[in-house]
Amino acid sequence: MDSVTTHPFISFAPAMPQAARADTQAALVNFFQDFGFTGRQDLEKLAGWVLGTRELTLSPEAALALARWRVEGWLAEVLGPAHVGPSLLVRGRAAFVLVGGARWGADVLMRTPSSLPDAWRRAVCEAVPMSAPAEVPCQMREQQLVLNPFMDMLRRWLRPAAGQAGVSPSR
Amino acid sequence: MNAQPYTPALARPRRVMVLGLAALSTGFACVEMHRLLAAHGTTVPELFVLGLFAVCFAWIALSFWSGVAGFIQLVSNQRVPGLRWPTEEEAAEPLTRRTAVVMPVYNEDPAAVFAHVQATYESIAATGQLDAFDFYVLSDSTKAESWVAEELAWSELCRRVGGQGRIFYRRRSDNTAKKAGNLAEFCERWGRRYDFLLVLDADSLMAGDSVVKMARLMELNPGAGILQVPPQNVGRSTLFARLQQFAGRVYGPIVAAGAAAWQLGDSNYWGHNAILRMAPFIEHCGLPVLPGQQPFGGHILSHDFVEAALMRRAGYTVWLVPELGGSYEQPPPDLLAYAQRDRRWCQGNLQHLGLVMAGGLHPMSRMHFLMGVMSYVASPLWLIFLVAGLFAALHEWFFAPATLMEFQATLPGGDAFDTVGALRLMALSLALLWIPRLMGMGLVLADREEAANMGGRFKLVLSVMLEGFVSTLMAPVMMLFQSHFVFGTLFGYKVNWSSQQREDTDLPWPEALRRHKWHMVIGVVLAVLTVAVAPGMLAWLSPVILGLWLAPAISVFTSRASLGLWLQRRGLLLIPEEVQPPTVLVRAQELAEEELEPVDDALDHVLTDPRAHALHLALLESHPAASVPAALASARRKLLAGGVEPLSPQEKSAVLLDARTLSELRGRRLGVQA
Repeated sequence: MDSVTTHPFISFAPAMPQAARADTQAALVNFFQDFGFTGRQDLEKLAGWVLGTRELTLSPEAALALARWRVEGWLAEVLGPAHVGPSLLVRGRAAFVLVGGARWGADVLMRTPSSLPDAWRRAVCEAVPMSAPAEVPCQMREQQLVLNPFMDMLRRWLRPAAGQAGVSPSR
Repeated sequence: MNAQPYTPALARPRRVMVLGLAALSTGFACVEMHRLLAAHGTTVPELFVLGLFAVCFAWIALSFWSGVAGFIQLVSNQRVPGLRWPTEEEAAEPLTRRTAVVMPVYNEDPAAVFAHVQATYESIAATGQLDAFDFYVLSDSTKAESWVAEELAWSELCRRVGGQGRIFYRRRSDNTAKKAGNLAEFCERWGRRYDFLLVLDADSLMAGDSVVKMARLMELNPGAGILQVPPQNVGRSTLFARLQQFAGRVYGPIVAAGAAAWQLGDSNYWGHNAILRMAPFIEHCGLPVLPGQQPFGGHILSHDFVEAALMRRAGYTVWLVPELGGSYEQPPPDLLAYAQRDRRWCQGNLQHLGLVMAGGLHPMSRMHFLMGVMSYVASPLWLIFLVAGLFAALHEWFFAPATLMEFQATLPGGDAFDTVGALRLMALSLALLWIPRLMGMGLVLADREEAANMGGRFKLVLSVMLEGFVSTLMAPVMMLFQSHFVFGTLFGYKVNWSSQQREDTDLPWPEALRRHKWHMVIGVVLAVLTVAVAPGMLAWLSPVILGLWLAPAISVFTSRASLGLWLQRRGLLLIPEEVQPPTVLVRAQELAEEELEPVDDALDHVLTDPRAHALHLALLESHPAASVPAALASARRKLLAGGVEPLSPQEKSAVLLDARTLSELRGRRLGVQA
């Protein structure tokens, strides 16, 4: 888990001494646009947050992996251990977008979650899409119906070896 | 409270009365009919006519005596025996069992669907018993736009009411066995989490206190497998719908109370607005796939009757509980939409013919199958009866040659015809049809408050007359529609029907003329034949002929909301739910009027809207479903090649099921925008 400690409500944008690779920058911009961020300044801040000052030559893939790692850390802290798992990023991102997290600007992702208002964190937790609870699988067995017992009896009487033509077949 | 346990002996006297009186009435009418037909001896065609008459008359006689039973039940103001009702203390306790409220949907208007879910949810929350319920919208939608719109509407609903973890949404990409398969799939995945299953339709609405009472009754009556609360038609404005709503409000209580009174614990299930006991439903109600080809073979189309029969076969009772109330649905907006629904139900009910003889079923379950069949087959039987009557007369003329004048004298209106006897029989038939209606009206008139909520006594009577007049004009058209559907199903010819279920929008004249052109032709032919062969019958047949001639006009004018609302403003066809609407109806109406985010192109929406994109991917992640590989491959070829070739619906769905392709495409879109 990774976190950046900042003061509450104070913007944090690490200055980048030199420009990152354009394709890396674009990949990160796309990544954060999926969280609903649209402002150029916010997107640059977030790219800078991911890359820091030491990772300027990172490939897009490596930068995205780093971004996922950072955001997953942030989401794990906001949502709590119950949500940690392979779908943390996708579900957490949905929750973030659904509460309109991007309206708070890039700072919201760059701050330690514990410094965020409780109500806001609760809203994000409650927005995690839960389309269905855990399954309790069972089988609804197809019922056997002898559609015409009299004909069936007659058929068996006439041809003892005959199959059960009037019985509903199983799946 | 009534704690008398349900036993077959409890139902026997009631059934003997209703069925016995129906049989007696039919016997009397058949004797009278035979006397009329046998004026010059009985021919084979006349015997055939008599047989048809017996079946048709038995059907209306059963409806009549069931209505009388309902009237007595309502006047006696007592509950039917056999169900244990809660004491005041019991009713105040929290529910101890859990219920899943499920709403299967299929390409419906998401605004209306989720408005109804929210209104029902809030209504249950207001009872303080929300903890005992979870809600599921079970989508079988095949249109990508409906699917994405449902996801967004579900998410919005959860946000509004704080319903995450209590309101769920699941979509099947494979629609096996349609609605029954949709429910079965739910039961197999989540059914074991719940004690009861409350099934709603896409247009269903239920008041919270009724839902809680249903769950309470299930708790108190462990032998009850299904409780059905008859839904009441509400919420539409077209003249046709308001006629249905009014008829349902005035005559519906008699019909429902009648069925409940003599069927008791062997009643039927209508597929929605009902609560089912989950464990026996899973254990004993898995639907069989019938041998043979459609219409009688394959998956069972109308699952409800069969599930009720299987539940009853397993020893659990099935109850109709009209006194609970608070159960609503919307009627079709116009005659054509009504006929469209009838066409679907007709095929489903006729399929039950193959189950009537099935081993192990309760006799009442067999009777329900037959009654379902008769509700559609009665129309062609009456039609064949009319045609066969004419044929029988011609047959007699053919084999006993006479002049046209002599022949005409033997027909209704002729000198040699027993007009008084025929009128007596006709009056009896009409009485059987009308007396339950009048009893329903009488009950409303006797209740000052109810009558005031239906426009006052004078306007109530006027409304009954208006409803009777319009429904008489519509009856021949419905008879021809239903006959067409029955013959289409039985003889396997395709009944084309492309019209869509509409909201309260006016039906265009060209469509009405297209749908009714053959009805008008039949009306003209019937009139010409009558004038040529038996002018004396013209007066008798005039309601039929007029109904057929005017069919397009009736369809068009009754589809008009302006006309429905005009009558409403004048206090006609009013129902109490329009005058003093229950909270749940008002809330559903308010919510349905709120605009939902439009989804014109599902794929485009998911790719451009971050909210739709994030939500859709999260739901895919939770419940992954495989795309059709060929459709996905061809869609990817089209999309990633940057071409402009449009995607087919299958390709679009395949892309929407594939998270990798969606992410890739969104990345490209954002890249282009940047």
